[in-house]
Amino acid sequence: MSPIDPPECERRLQDAAPYVLGALSERECESYREHLAGCAECAGEVAALQAAADSLALAVTPIQTPAQVRARVMSVVDGEAELLRAAGHEADRPPRVHARWRAWLTPALTAGATLAAGLAIGAIALGGGSGAGTRTQTIQAAVSMPGYRASAELRMAGSHVELVVAHMPAPPLGRIYEVWLERGTHAPQPTDALFSVTSSGSGSVVVPGDLAGVSRVLVTSEPLGGSLKPTRPPVIVAPM
Amino acid sequence: MQLVAENDANAFAVLYERHTNVAFSLAFRMCGKRAIAEEVIQEAFLSMWRSGARYDRTRGSVRTWVLGIVHNRAIDALRRGTVHDRGRVSDEGIEERLQAPDRTDLEVGRRDEAREIRQALDELPAEQSHVIELAYYGGFTHSEIATMLDTPIGTIKGRMRLGLQKLRSQLDPAEMLG
Repeated sequence: MSPIDPPECERRLQDAAPYVLGALSERECESYREHLAGCAECAGEVAALQAAADSLALAVTPIQTPAQVRARVMSVVDGEAELLRAAGHEADRPPRVHARWRAWLTPALTAGATLAAGLAIGAIALGGGSGAGTRTQTIQAAVSMPGYRASAELRMAGSHVELVVAHMPAPPLGRIYEVWLERGTHAPQPTDALFSVTSSGSGSVVVPGDLAGVSRVLVTSEPLGGSLKPTRPPVIVAPM
Repeated sequence: MQLVAENDANAFAVLYERHTNVAFSLAFRMCGKRAIAEEVIQEAFLSMWRSGARYDRTRGSVRTWVLGIVHNRAIDALRRGTVHDRGRVSDEGIEERLQAPDRTDLEVGRRDEAREIRQALDELPAEQSHVIELAYYGGFTHSEIATMLDTPIGTIKGRMRLGLQKLRSQLDPAEMLG
């Protein structure tokens, strides 16, 4: 913890009120949190103002949460709790084949008319780094985004795999893109890689987990918070 | 909360039931759109489920923790531009349609509590309550507020600080947030 000089502290003390009200920008907030860790005076000011700021949340007119929100939240919670319970005993058990999923994939990937103009399936390019460093491999993915010139590719360097997308539309309202791993004929397995895209349609996400035996990386749009089973056909399919 | 941290879905359901209305009320007040408010609290509760172990009882009540997460998520939604006309309630009449009925002592207590805090807020000098409301409910940053009101940033920060200090002196936080 580095010592804080008095003028710096005096200046930062003024940030305590906007901090507790959530009125600092993300960067300012991060910087102020670091400052608080080393400044007892500012930390004391924050503590003094925090309860008043917190009370503002209770000043609003109480209204009831629509019932469907509970159903949506608890379906995810119950599903994940079940998965966690199951993982305790059956984590190594191979997943079963998901017939419905396979039925989605076939038409989605063969109906050429519905694929984006820039579609390229399984074109593997070996790029860069063939020297002393880690070899980088790029795999073009199939993108099913009618009306968009969306593209996606997997960039693999050693065990690090990243999915990079461009010109993608944002996921529909209330949904988010989720990455899945598919091994052979088994049902796709969810990952915790959830992502959206910038206003220009670009985005990237690290593909997590053990990729041994993975035959395809898939992306679907799922309800916020992600799903344990895909609820929509894939919009991106990348062969491994 | 210990059970939530241990991924007990039933315990989480209790947490949800206990705090969902106050969480939705805050999200709706900030976002002004029912659909966005639903998304905000859905995201917030799922984040609580996945990070239940991070609740630290020494830093406040569960309700404060829940509302802090909802507030942050709503600010994110506001700043992502998902919500226009920030700080306005734009789904007209929805508050009346969704108003929580005074069925229990708890609900009556919450309504009284809300009234008391609103009254304290109303008693602040207008320039102080205005910047506090723009920041807390509108999700505006201090610099956005300074530009909006054509007032130096230092003055805005000073009004926020004075307003919060007065609010604290008018309320009994220990009683409110316990």
